Amino acid sequence: MTHKPTPVDRPFWTPGTLVMLALMIAAAVTLVIRYTYGLSAVSNLNNHYPWGIWIGLDVASGVALAAGGFTTAFLAHIMGRHYYEAVTRPALLTAALGYTFVALAVSIDIGRTWAIWKPVFYQNHNSALFEVAMCVMVYVTVLWIEFIPVLAERLGKKIPLLAFLDRTLDKTMWVFIILGVVLSCMHQSSLGTLLVIAPTKVSPLWYTPFLPLLFLTSAFAVGYPMVVVETTIATSSLKLESEMNVLTPLSKITVLLLGIYMVLKIGDLVLRGAYVTLLDGSAQSTAFLVEVGLGVVIPWIMLLFKAVRQSRRLLFTTALMIVLGVMLNRFNVFVVSFKAPYATHPYYPAIGEILVTVGAVATIFFLYRVFVTHFPVLSAQRQEVSR
Amino acid sequence: MRTNVIRVLATAVLMAVLGASAALAATPPPAGDAKPVEKSRKDLTPMPEGWTALRQEEAIKQAHKQYPFVEDVLMEDLPLRQQRLRNMGIGYKDIKQSYILLDSPYVDTYEKQYDPVRFMHSKHAASLDGDCAACHHYRPADPNAPETVSCRSCHQDTRTDANTERIGLKAAYHMQCMNCHEQMKKGPVNCVGCHTKRSVDHKELVRLPENPKPQEVTAECLRCHQEAGDDMLATAHWLWRGPSPYTTEHRKSVMSGKGTTTLNNF
Amino acid sequence: MKLTRRGFLGAVGAAGVAAAAPNNAQAWQSKAPPDPYGCLVDLTRCIGCRKCEQACNEVNRLPEPAVRFDDLTVLDAKRRPDHDTFTVINRYYPGRLDDRAKPAPTFVKVQCMHCQDPACVSACITGALTKEDNGAVHYDVGKCIGCRYCMAACPFEIPAYEYHDPITPRVRKCTFCFERISKEGGKPGCASICPVEAITFGRRNELLLLAKKRIENDPGKYVDRVYGEKEVGGTSWLYVSNVDFEKVGFQKLPEQPMPGITETIQSSLFSYLWSPLALFGVLGAVMGLTGRKEENHDA
Repeated sequence: MTHKPTPVDRPFWTPGTLVMLALMIAAAVTLVIRYTYGLSAVSNLNNHYPWGIWIGLDVASGVALAAGGFTTAFLAHIMGRHYYEAVTRPALLTAALGYTFVALAVSIDIGRTWAIWKPVFYQNHNSALFEVAMCVMVYVTVLWIEFIPVLAERLGKKIPLLAFLDRTLDKTMWVFIILGVVLSCMHQSSLGTLLVIAPTKVSPLWYTPFLPLLFLTSAFAVGYPMVVVETTIATSSLKLESEMNVLTPLSKITVLLLGIYMVLKIGDLVLRGAYVTLLDGSAQSTAFLVEVGLGVVIPWIMLLFKAVRQSRRLLFTTALMIVLGVMLNRFNVFVVSFKAPYATHPYYPAIGEILVTVGAVATIFFLYRVFVTHFPVLSAQRQEVSR
Repeated sequence: MRTNVIRVLATAVLMAVLGASAALAATPPPAGDAKPVEKSRKDLTPMPEGWTALRQEEAIKQAHKQYPFVEDVLMEDLPLRQQRLRNMGIGYKDIKQSYILLDSPYVDTYEKQYDPVRFMHSKHAASLDGDCAACHHYRPADPNAPETVSCRSCHQDTRTDANTERIGLKAAYHMQCMNCHEQMKKGPVNCVGCHTKRSVDHKELVRLPENPKPQEVTAECLRCHQEAGDDMLATAHWLWRGPSPYTTEHRKSVMSGKGTTTLNNF
Repeated sequence: MKLTRRGFLGAVGAAGVAAAAPNNAQAWQSKAPPDPYGCLVDLTRCIGCRKCEQACNEVNRLPEPAVRFDDLTVLDAKRRPDHDTFTVINRYYPGRLDDRAKPAPTFVKVQCMHCQDPACVSACITGALTKEDNGAVHYDVGKCIGCRYCMAACPFEIPAYEYHDPITPRVRKCTFCFERISKEGGKPGCASICPVEAITFGRRNELLLLAKKRIENDPGKYVDRVYGEKEVGGTSWLYVSNVDFEKVGFQKLPEQPMPGITETIQSSLFSYLWSPLALFGVLGAVMGLTGRKEENHDA
């Protein structure tokens, strides 16, 4: 069956990691400017468009794409399907890194970075954002707690504290695993609640009181495709075995989950009658068609075929479509659909915003590489092919 | 650079014009003696000693007099009222004061920015052909009250109870005057058409370093009086050109002047 | 596979509670203060003198404006309040003609509407924004983290932000002259300076009656609508006009208070954290069950 996770022994410095490093430096420079001359110096945010891609992509999409962490934990640990444990560790690592960067992105985006602790003491229970903040705050902690055994396996001998924590956690880990799933369900949906408060400012293609449900179901749906994508990228770039024996059954579950999301999404659109603007050729309707067509319907149909689920290349393509579809959904809800009633110019992300976003993604990739190199995360065996 | 120079010069002239018009007159004829010219700030048209505007004291007192508030008003159609007043023979001759100072604590609702208006009561009445109802639109319900009462008898503080909505005195004055001026297409409708701006103590406002450069002084004046500076640039003081009969070597030069060679630009 | 499906259906079912929430939105209670202050703006009276802008600037100690307040040439640019201007007057030509057959201008004052159930207050993550009993939507910079959710939530697009400030940007908007109106007889700066009483300050309930009385007394002049009476559940600032509101920069807005749906979702799902606790219990039970099964299986 599966193999025990082990560190990967491949040379760390490759052209790939160097590119990542360059992107990280560019983002760092942007951040220096942001903390010297303010948000206006690096972003196109203004009084009409207070939220841009840092919220729409870095935060909302980041959270959605980290859903692999809790969905695999649910399957392997709660449902007792240990067969899938091979992918829990990489999914956990992606989630931990992803959420850490969500938290960092938020702290860059909010003007008063130093005040980020304030919601802990000044609480507004009516605010969906408050709930998201609390959940993310706790969930980041839970994720890294869940990651302690991985660290302890490697560093336990050097750092006695880790070994001690690992031993203590052994009995209580189930609490954190369940807590992780519960917290995820809470804030994945609440992220969708955020713009429910602004019915007049969100395009009717996306605005529905059921946004939280759509966010939650799409997070369920994107979890396993995300695992497929990241595992395939990792195994192919590190020249490891493909782990298709795990990914194929995961994609079968995805058929159901994505189907539920698809039915809710399209059903909601039809029931509200908002489909009437679908073919008006505006940027918004195009974005919606791409999101649902290429990101939900077509990959769902593709996944119905066994041949797709068993082909590494096709499965990767399909999973990538779903992942990009959900990403686009978050971007659409927070950026494309946002209509500022008094704005004179539309919002386009500034170069600074793009640099920071790309830099954050690069950092995640970079750190992922650092962790799989030094810690037992990946279980896949080396391919017996020549280097 | 050039605009800066122009600005500096403009203000120098402006100040000469505004502040010390007397200096011009005091300039001695171009004689041979080398005595330095003495600056004079003497007022050439001084107010006669002890002079005040006619009935000024009385008008100020009148303006601050408290009137008992008229609660109930007899509502009446305007044409009927006009007719009635005419039949009663009320008109121009009944005016007690030729002018009124429109001032009251009820008008001073925010930090005072303008001086009170000197309202020419007789003049307005005359130009309205004695139609008192044009402004005195209602009368008190009390039959013993006079037919026309002053504005502030009815309009004092703003009253917002829906049954007896009564606009405040300040709004009553403004709306009565401005709406009528607009309708008649006569009389000013902007602020300074009726008010003089309240004179401001410049000691508080002017912010200058210890030993200011002339340019700094100019810039400081222009900070508030930009328009005055712009206007100056369009006046003959700035644009004059022609011979300068009293200036040595320039007596026949027709191209002299601030508008051309910028001669005499200080 | 079966178990997996059932488990996920359970989780989806929990989400279904969220779906059911909007249906019992009538359970939501407005938190509007019973007798707030308000201002009635009469667009037929405003003469566009910009004195209110000046008073606002002075009262709130805002920086000197780029264009002086006696310069009326800026009226035609459709300005919006920003971080150092809490109110602006804009001039519209909605098509009405004056007696000289020239287009007659309508001047519109723009500032925070001080909603009765403000979206910004409900959205604010730390409660830095609050709806006070006197009607003011009050901002406490000490609690603000600068997340700008209030700006995204505001249907009137009012809160502005100090984007140029790298460390301590503030959200800026009309304060309703909170300190002035807290004093007996105090009025907001704009209302007290207005030369024609286009802004009438008073109790909102009274102003509403007053507005209706004005419309009733002159139905030929006024449009039969008080803007702010019902919009987004009512606002402390009210407007009456002689031209269609939509023609002079006002939006058509729903009558439901903006926070209704989200607050219903939040409170029905998370009061006493019942749903997370329930989900925790269910998942714990499932985990225990599958774990035991496996042990049996192994044995």
